Amino acid sequence: MALAKTVYSLLFRRTSTFAVTIMVGAVFFERVFDQGGDAVFEQLNRGKLWDHIKHKYEVKEE
Amino acid sequence: MMSIAARRGAISSCLQFTKPMVNASVLSRLVKDFVPPASATGIRLAHTDIKVPDFSDYRRPEVQDPNKSSQDSSEARKVFSYLVTGATTVVTVYAAKTVVSQFVSSMSASADVLALSKIEVKLSDIPEGKNMTFKWRGKPLFVRHRTEKEIATEEGVNLGELRDPEHDKDRVQNPKWVIVLGVCTHLGCVPIANAGDYGGYYCPCHGSHYDASGRIRKGPAPLNLEVPFYEFADEDTVIVG
Repeated sequence: MALAKTVYSLLFRRTSTFAVTIMVGAVFFERVFDQGGDAVFEQLNRGKLWDHIKHKYEVKEE
Repeated sequence: MMSIAARRGAISSCLQFTKPMVNASVLSRLVKDFVPPASATGIRLAHTDIKVPDFSDYRRPEVQDPNKSSQDSSEARKVFSYLVTGATTVVTVYAAKTVVSQFVSSMSASADVLALSKIEVKLSDIPEGKNMTFKWRGKPLFVRHRTEKEIATEEGVNLGELRDPEHDKDRVQNPKWVIVLGVCTHLGCVPIANAGDYGGYYCPCHGSHYDASGRIRKGPAPLNLEVPFYEFADEDTVIVG
């Protein structure tokens, strides 16, 4: 509860800090949500995407 | 006025019941008149069949007990409320940002259009004194390799005798190469290279003469040939667009 109390008094109590918290939170949420979504997609389509089969077709430069 | 009239007049007893501020004597008289003596324990001016609603289903568990101070749990309840509000707003902001950026990016040019918007010209293919025509964004593009003599002539031109005064320096990045759009500024014909009175371009449609810098010198055209944006990638390549 001590953490919740700190969070409340530092971030949620004032409207200004609450708005800043939401904006910063949205930036992090966007990254997590987008990358999480991509990871799920790649997991579901494992072996079918170009990135997964690229090594078979790329010619190694000696 | 009304209260004086009511106190004095014959209808005073009737009016006093309807007055909003019921004083003690009126109240006691009212009780005596209308409340049966059997239920005279308290005065309920409201109807006694109204049930006070039970909101405990909607109350948080911390405030269910009426004998407990709600101050102790206020912090936790506020944190919960603001956390829910904040999380919802964060998701809304993300969704709104995504919708707006998707919409805006749908209006920008697609990759195949962007791929056509640039042209790479190999300069070593163009011999000195020659002009080559390329197709760029659906229009002819003139790339001219000038000789030393042409460069000297164009740089020496007096700006006062030009219709659209522009110095040769401002029209070329490298004086050896003149890159202009091959569209006559009069009515849009394609001029002929290395022709006309000034040795540059000549428009066969209405007889406009351009010099070797693409500037209008004679004829009906009002402006110099347009210089597109271009940059030299290296000594041998120029990228137009």
